[in-house]
Amino acid sequence: MPFNRKLQKFSASINEVEIGTGDKAVKIGGQNVLPFYSFDGNIGNGAKVGIEISDLGVEGMPACIQACYEGCTSFADIAKKAASFEGVDFLALSLEGGDPNGLNKPTDELIAIVKEVADATDLPLVVEGAKNAEKDSELLAKVAEVLAGKNVLVMSAKEENYKAIGASAGLAYGQKVGAESAVDINLAKQLNVVMTQLGVNANSIVMNTGSASVGYGFDYTLSTFDRVRAAALGQDDKMLQMPIVTPVASETWGVKESTAAEADAPEGWGPVEARGISMEVQTAVACLASGSDAVILAHPVSVSTVAKLVKELV
Amino acid sequence: MAKFIVIGERISATAPSINKALAERDPEPILKRAKQQLDAGATYLDLNIGPAESDGEEIMKWGVELLQSNFDNVPIALDTANMKAIEAGIAVYNRAKGKPIVNSADAAGRIGYVDLAAANDAIVIALCNGEGIAANNDERMMYCQTLLERGLMAGMSEQDLWFDPLFLVTKGMQDKQMEILECIEMISQMGLNSTGGLSNNSNGMPKHIRPIMDATMVAMAMTKGLTSAIVNPNDLRLMETIKSVDVIKNNTLYADSYLEL
Repeated sequence: MPFNRKLQKFSASINEVEIGTGDKAVKIGGQNVLPFYSFDGNIGNGAKVGIEISDLGVEGMPACIQACYEGCTSFADIAKKAASFEGVDFLALSLEGGDPNGLNKPTDELIAIVKEVADATDLPLVVEGAKNAEKDSELLAKVAEVLAGKNVLVMSAKEENYKAIGASAGLAYGQKVGAESAVDINLAKQLNVVMTQLGVNANSIVMNTGSASVGYGFDYTLSTFDRVRAAALGQDDKMLQMPIVTPVASETWGVKESTAAEADAPEGWGPVEARGISMEVQTAVACLASGSDAVILAHPVSVSTVAKLVKELV
Repeated sequence: MAKFIVIGERISATAPSINKALAERDPEPILKRAKQQLDAGATYLDLNIGPAESDGEEIMKWGVELLQSNFDNVPIALDTANMKAIEAGIAVYNRAKGKPIVNSADAAGRIGYVDLAAANDAIVIALCNGEGIAANNDERMMYCQTLLERGLMAGMSEQDLWFDPLFLVTKGMQDKQMEILECIEMISQMGLNSTGGLSNNSNGMPKHIRPIMDATMVAMAMTKGLTSAIVNPNDLRLMETIKSVDVIKNNTLYADSYLEL
C-alpha cells in the first residue's frame, strides 16, 4: 500500500509577539503546527534563544561562565559581551538581587542597572524580576516605566501581582508582559483571562508556564507545554494561544550535575563545565521540542549550540 | 473533542419585532439581538427569515451582509424554506470564520437542501425525519442513513452533515425523551455531528421551568455526544451548563473564569 501522507492541520495559530525595536527586534510565535513540524505547515518565527545576565554581575555567574566575561567591569560591558556571543536573539536581565529574602537590593539601585544594560545594547530585552511577588509589583512596574518605548518583555506577572505588572507594563507603557504559572495549566489559562480582562492586549502577553532542569520533575514542565499547545491549536483556545518563553539557565545551573566539582563528583562525571552545558542544552532543546517558543540560557556555548540546532532543523 | 457549538436562535421571523425589522430592512433590532447572543457565547447565529416567498433572496442577502459586516464575519445558519434565498445568502457569505449552515434538510420533501449544501460547500442540518415524525429510532436512523448517503454521493464530507434527531415536547411525549437521547448516542457512535432545536423539549412549560429543563436536557444530550444545538444563548442557566459540560468532557481547558469566556 502506498504511503499516504496526511498533514496535521490546525485552523488556530499561536499569537505572534514582537519584542524589541528596530532591526534587532525578534518575533516569537505565529505558527499553526506543533514544534518544528515544518512538514505540516507554517512554523511561524521559529524558536529563539536568549542569554541571561543578572544584577549580580560577573560574580553572580557560575565560575565557568565568568571566564567568558573576562575583562568586563561594568553592567554595560557585560551586556555588550553577552550580546556579542553567537546565536543570541535577545538579552535577558534577571534582577534576582532584589529578592527581600536575599540581597534585597533597593529598587533604585536595580533600576540604574536596568537602564545601563538597556542603553548598552540594541538587542531586544527581557527583564526578569526578583522572584518575590510583592517586590516585583513595585520593581517591574518601574522597569516598564523607565524602558518605555523599548518594547521589552517584562517577566513575570503572577497570580498575586498581575494587576500591578499588567497595568504598568501592559497598559500604561505598552511593553510585553510575561504571565507566570508554575506547571499549572488551569492557572496559565486563568492568568491570561484576567490579564486580558484587565485590558492587556492578548497579543502583548507571553507565558512562562514553568521550568525545571531535566531530571528534576521536568516531565511536568513538558506535559504542561503539550497540554497548553493541544488546547491552543486543537481546541482553538484563545486564552492559551500566547507564545511561551522558558527561563532555563536559572534552573539548570543550580542542580548538582552542574555544580559539583570534578573532585567531589561520582567517578566518570567529568569536568563540571561540560556537565553544566550539557544539562542546559538538554533542558532547552526538550523545552523547544515540546512547545516553548524561546529559551533563556546562560553559557555562551549552550546558546550557540541550541541556536545552531534550531537553525539546522528549520 | 471540539467545543460544543451554540447556534443562537433569536433572529427569527417568528418573533414579531424581527419579522417587522426584516420586512422594513431595519438593522437595529437585528443587530441588538445578534450582539446579545454573541456576547453570551453563541458561535453561529441562525438567520430565520420565514418562508419569504416573494423577496427572500433580497432579505437573506441583506441579513447576511448586515450580520457579517457588523460582527467580524460571524458564521451564520441560513434558515428559510426558500432555497433560492439560501443560495443568494451564500453568494454574499464570507467564510473566514466558518462555513455557512443550510437550515435544514429532511429525508423527504426537503432532501434537496442536501444537494444545495453540497453544491455550495456548506454545512447542512439534516433532520432525521421523513413524511411526519419518525416513530422510533429505527426510522430515525434510516432517515439519517438516507441523508448521509445523499450527502456523500454529492461529494460532501460526512462532518458537514449535522444530524438533528428532532427534540420532542416533553409535555405529551414524555415517554420519547430517552429515545431521542439514544438516537444522539447512535449518531455520535457513527462519528457524526449532531444538532437540534433542543428547547422544544420544554415547550408549553412555565417560563421559570424551561431553563431548568433545557439545561438538564443539554447536559444529558452532551453526555450522549450531541455536538451542537440551536438554542437561546441568553438563557444563562443553559449556557453555564453547556460551558460546565464542555469542561467535564475535556472539550475546553478549565480556568477559574471559564464561565466568563
